Amino acid sequence: MSDRVQTLTPQDVLARADELQRQLGGRFRDKIVESLYHEAEHIARRAVHHRTDRHWDLDQRIDRLVTSPIFGMPLMLLVLAAIFWVTIAGANYPSELLATGLFWFEARAVELFNAWGVPWWVTGFLWHGVYRSLAWVFSVMLPPMAIFFPLFTILEDLGYLPRVAFNLDWLFQKSGAHGKQALTMAMGFGCNAAGVIATRTIDSPRERLIAILTNNFVPCNGRFPTLIMLATIFVAAAFPPAFASLAAAGAVVAVVLLGVLFTLLVSWGLSRTILKGEASAFTLELPPYRRPSVMRILYTSLIDRTLFVLWRAIIVAAPAGAVIWILANISVGGTSLAQHTADLLNPQGVAIGLDGVILLAFVIAIPANEIVVPTILMMYLGTGMMIELEGFEQLRALLVDQHGWTLLTAVNLMLFSLLHNPCGTTIWTIWKETRSRKWTLVGALMPLGIGFLVTFLTATAVHAIGWI
Amino acid sequence: MENGWIWLWFVLALGGLLALRLWARLRPLARWRRWRALRERALFEDALKHLLTCEHSSRDATVESLAGSLGLSQKRLPRLIARMEAAGLLRSHGAALHLSSEGKQWALRVVRAHRLWERYLADEAGLPIGELHHAAERAEHRLTPEELDALDAHLGHPLRDPHGDPIPTAAGAVAPLEALPLTDWPLDQPAQIVHVEDEPEVIFKEIVAERLHPGMSVRILERMPEYLTIYDGQAEHRLTPVVAANIHVAKAPEGPSQPEERIRLADLADGEEAEVVALDPDCRGFSRRRLLDLGLTPGARVRVELSPAFGEPRAIRVRGTLIALRREQAVHVCVRSGSRSGGKTQKPGVSRQ
Repeated sequence: MSDRVQTLTPQDVLARADELQRQLGGRFRDKIVESLYHEAEHIARRAVHHRTDRHWDLDQRIDRLVTSPIFGMPLMLLVLAAIFWVTIAGANYPSELLATGLFWFEARAVELFNAWGVPWWVTGFLWHGVYRSLAWVFSVMLPPMAIFFPLFTILEDLGYLPRVAFNLDWLFQKSGAHGKQALTMAMGFGCNAAGVIATRTIDSPRERLIAILTNNFVPCNGRFPTLIMLATIFVAAAFPPAFASLAAAGAVVAVVLLGVLFTLLVSWGLSRTILKGEASAFTLELPPYRRPSVMRILYTSLIDRTLFVLWRAIIVAAPAGAVIWILANISVGGTSLAQHTADLLNPQGVAIGLDGVILLAFVIAIPANEIVVPTILMMYLGTGMMIELEGFEQLRALLVDQHGWTLLTAVNLMLFSLLHNPCGTTIWTIWKETRSRKWTLVGALMPLGIGFLVTFLTATAVHAIGWI
Repeated sequence: MENGWIWLWFVLALGGLLALRLWARLRPLARWRRWRALRERALFEDALKHLLTCEHSSRDATVESLAGSLGLSQKRLPRLIARMEAAGLLRSHGAALHLSSEGKQWALRVVRAHRLWERYLADEAGLPIGELHHAAERAEHRLTPEELDALDAHLGHPLRDPHGDPIPTAAGAVAPLEALPLTDWPLDQPAQIVHVEDEPEVIFKEIVAERLHPGMSVRILERMPEYLTIYDGQAEHRLTPVVAANIHVAKAPEGPSQPEERIRLADLADGEEAEVVALDPDCRGFSRRRLLDLGLTPGARVRVELSPAFGEPRAIRVRGTLIALRREQAVHVCVRSGSRSGGKTQKPGVSRQ
């Protein structure tokens, strides 16, 4: 016995294993899965009793309705429109409340610091710079996110969202993407970083990457206020009062649709060029309908969102506030650093129909897009801190009469805020989800490139026609 | 003006610091050296591959044939050969070049890398068969032996590459190919394509254009001096003898893979019920695993339940759950239409036991 063991060297064992491997053939994995299912079936047959129950019938009836060729799409649009309306309308008041509270606190703190005789620049840096930007981001972002995401989660719990993906898949199939991208896009309306995280539900790597890279083409809650303001001041003003609000809403919808169009186009382009050789397979589970546990969703998502927004405000918005304050308050040769930089950026800004101040605001607002407009206003008014104006009339006077904004400026600003690099949090999330420097870079720079191109083209075309 | 100077110095210092950081981060010199080493390795390995090919076709490799294959100048080639001889990879007998046993071992490793990578690209990345070769030509020089073994294990130790060529084992063993060229196959005998030759490229492109690939079952319908007509269950193909000689076939395996008997899940009408027979052998890697995971194993009963406005995807009930599949997935599932209960007329939801 013992000398048989001795004659068997490791090489022999490996060679034997190789030989056996070759006899096994390529299909042994299939066999394993088959036997697993066979066993499971066997157990289920003994342990589970089926009865023909009405629940099935109801599920199928609902399915037939929500995926029906006639009612499916309108129903879906109705539900999505309702969610947006509730979010925008419902977030207004709490946003204002939060802002009032937080800025009241700032004023008190500044008074206190002044009473203690703290130098003005310490007070300015801490309260007008860091704290103000933090408060701004928090009050703008928290209410819409705290309303939007629970509603979305309820729909998901209900089982409706997979049916939306099912209905829209044909559109995404044509552009080489996955139907679930419709859902990650819808999440992107709430927050692009959340949309990027939501792509985890897409199980084929290629389609998931497409969804990650194009998520930024839907405007998030942080960019919506900018779009709404511009639409109200500029687009609505070009129409008679009776149609004004309709025109403003139409402009915002047009921008959103443009974003969807760009998503599809870029997905199509990506899937035919740089993402050609990645695995792809489409499968989508349509789970049975369930009653969502509303209270649990409300509780967890309120806690989650508050923590997320607070974390983001502290990590990214506060440093941005510090930079803004420093740029606006350190002067060289009588003009602030911010003004110097804006002058430097002015030619590029003008070439794409904007100006240096707007471009600078976009650079500063990389961490958080919510502060683009406050930064622009700060620069125009020379206040040295971010600011918001009461009432659209005053705003209009400042932008149009003093700084020469035209309809082209407004339209290009809307375009550029739709098509530019994702915010810092989203870039960070792309990096965390892909773990690839290359894809993070593509995700950040591709939308920016497209933005420059599109705005440059519109500006050039408008100038060429001599319209402005 | 003084302010201007301060600014200039500040910007210069900042730029210098940034350049230093970049240099330290990117290490351009080390990168360049690595690139050189890789190029040298690629040259060695391409030479070894050429010698191995010559050995297989039992002709002598010469300096001229090597120069032609590598596209190297007459000046650089002798140096390369001298270096390879010094490394003990080849021996020269007069004009003829021969692989040493070490050289052969290395050459087989390169072939293994090439074919494994092709298998990987075809199965996991879904790259079309026509684009595999070029991608693998680049990747074969970059894979380390450890990466190769990991790749081999990950793919489940495949035996053949997507063209049907045998993949050498880590020990360098090559399973022989037992097949006949299509030109020598008897008329009307069911056959399975086991190998398509990927060189010369012109002929391979013709094979790709006809959508013929290993794993397909075919039959020769007609043999003429100028052409050959074959049938694959769906369509007829007319091939010139040159093309047909580059396709190798063997006896078709027994079972449900007879082309005529296959109905696909994608062919079922709305509400129709069927039983899964098998998954198409062409469906491999990632997409095959997905379909299996969803429970589309032989014997499972399936039913088409929902089709949206634009016809795709369709929702299919399998094992009590509803899943949506696009047409491109559903064609991979072969079914036997066992309408035990007559499709549409049946009340939904009652047929499940």
